[in-house]
Amino acid sequence: MNDARPGGSILIVDDEAASPLVSAVRRGLEKEGWRTVVVEPEEGWRSGEDFEAAALYAIEESRPDGVLLDVRFGDHRDDLFKGLDILRKIVTEHPKLPVLMFTQYTQGPDRETAVRSTLRWDAPVDFIDKLASPEEVVLRLRRLIGTAPEVIRVGARITLNVSTKTVEVAGTLMSEISGMRFEILRELAVAWYRSPGQLVPFATLERYSEGEDARASLRVRVREIKDALGKALGERLGAGDLIINVRDQGYRLVPKD
Amino acid sequence: MGSRPLRVAAAVLVVAGALGVVLSPLLGETVSEESLWGVEPLAYVGGLLLIAGLAVLTASYALPGVLPGMFGKGGTASGGPAHTPERWSEITQQYFEVFHHDLGRPLSRIVGKERELRAVLEARSGTIDPAVADLLDEIERQGPNFRLMMSNLQVLIQLEAGPAPGRDDAVEPAEVVRKIVERYNAVAGEMGKQITWWSEPAEFGIVYSDGSAIEHIVTNLVDNAVRFAGAQVEVKLTQNPTHFFVRVWDDGQGIPAHYLQHLFDRGWTPESARRDEKVSSGLGLFIAQTLAGRQRGELTVESVTAPDPDHHTGFLLSLPLGSPAGAPSA
Repeated sequence: MNDARPGGSILIVDDEAASPLVSAVRRGLEKEGWRTVVVEPEEGWRSGEDFEAAALYAIEESRPDGVLLDVRFGDHRDDLFKGLDILRKIVTEHPKLPVLMFTQYTQGPDRETAVRSTLRWDAPVDFIDKLASPEEVVLRLRRLIGTAPEVIRVGARITLNVSTKTVEVAGTLMSEISGMRFEILRELAVAWYRSPGQLVPFATLERYSEGEDARASLRVRVREIKDALGKALGERLGAGDLIINVRDQGYRLVPKD
Repeated sequence: MGSRPLRVAAAVLVVAGALGVVLSPLLGETVSEESLWGVEPLAYVGGLLLIAGLAVLTASYALPGVLPGMFGKGGTASGGPAHTPERWSEITQQYFEVFHHDLGRPLSRIVGKERELRAVLEARSGTIDPAVADLLDEIERQGPNFRLMMSNLQVLIQLEAGPAPGRDDAVEPAEVVRKIVERYNAVAGEMGKQITWWSEPAEFGIVYSDGSAIEHIVTNLVDNAVRFAGAQVEVKLTQNPTHFFVRVWDDGQGIPAHYLQHLFDRGWTPESARRDEKVSSGLGLFIAQTLAGRQRGELTVESVTAPDPDHHTGFLLSLPLGSPAGAPSA
């Protein structure tokens, strides 16, 4: 089985790569299983031009899955938005390489819109405030890179393998969760993985239920999934545990650990 | 100095000048029969005052907004360039951008150091003392607060400058909502609250609107909802053939009916109504509703108060789906 971790590498290009803010993001990425490669300033580097050359070289060398790139490089007037020059070069030379731009919160959506208008419409580029929490950066990178892992870990003990359509709890294969029940759990796990807090509406999940009363059938299947998982986890999963019904709109996953 | 006092001063000059000219034969004395100054000087002075007064009066009507900018507080000519209100607004915005950036640096340092400290404490002992963790969480929580406050000020300055040209960027509302929810998830989690979001249809598609305005409005609504929710906040995206809707709902205590009519007033807060100490600026909802109006949409609110078991507050933002630049509107 593949590891649930994303596995690939992220190139970080920032003149303040050693700052606490960027260090926290690096830790967050590494905790998630990403390998980080950092382009740091070297002695003798004087301008953003040096960073630009080093960043493009590092992309060729390390073939990262994504790039985390700062907009500002130093305080020199010519380098205030050097990151945008580097971004345009990356988009030209590596049009499919996802790039997440670290902006100062001061630069705002207006500037993002302006930058986007100069790029290819389908360039995999996104912007994030440098003050964003490391968890937010990881989530954004996940989506940008389009990582839909074969294996999704839901909390510490539940693992879904999307390619073999199997579920394990603490290493034990669960034969009870297969077929439609697996599909329901997969929908919920993928939504949660992409954006914790995202609900899957009934309309989406009712595809995996049968009978005249699709809602009732869905409710039964969700109950069966919870019972099976609860049994394997050694606890009774109540209405507010793991899979919750949000005000009769749909279900969402809320892993505890 | 504003236009009105300036016009009054000009009128006084005109009247004084006219009186000087009319009364000069009675009051003045001829300086010299032989020279140009054969007429009383008072008539010349009166004439000059009359012309100056008329000139100022004419200019104040022909060039509104320019003359007041040419005078300082004491009414003296400043000698500087003429500033229309729009020009002042532009200068204020430029100043604020610099100010904004300068504030960003210490904020980055504070948040960065807090995260570093958290990592060091975790590395040393594996876990962090709950009391210390609470303190660190509090610093972390203030980040989004501070960002929203600065962002509100910036938008307020833009709004003061008058209507901006409409924008019709291609925007994915689901992405905008997703990002805002991700930003507030940690804050809500620390307060023991949950944010749930979804869109119907699941593949929501794009709309043509002002992406930054949508983000700003929804951020203010989610920020409010997280603060006042009991345990749950919901953000739901829907659409019909002409409009899309963002509903931000919380299960808080609700807003009394007599407060609802003031909710979008500039600077109004429940504390101001109760004469308590203000805990918010009262700008967020005013800005959100003004921005919605400028996007040809609207922002409304409905609320049910406790002890009704269904107590909640729901804000509904509705905006046109729009069409690409140059295309006829849907």
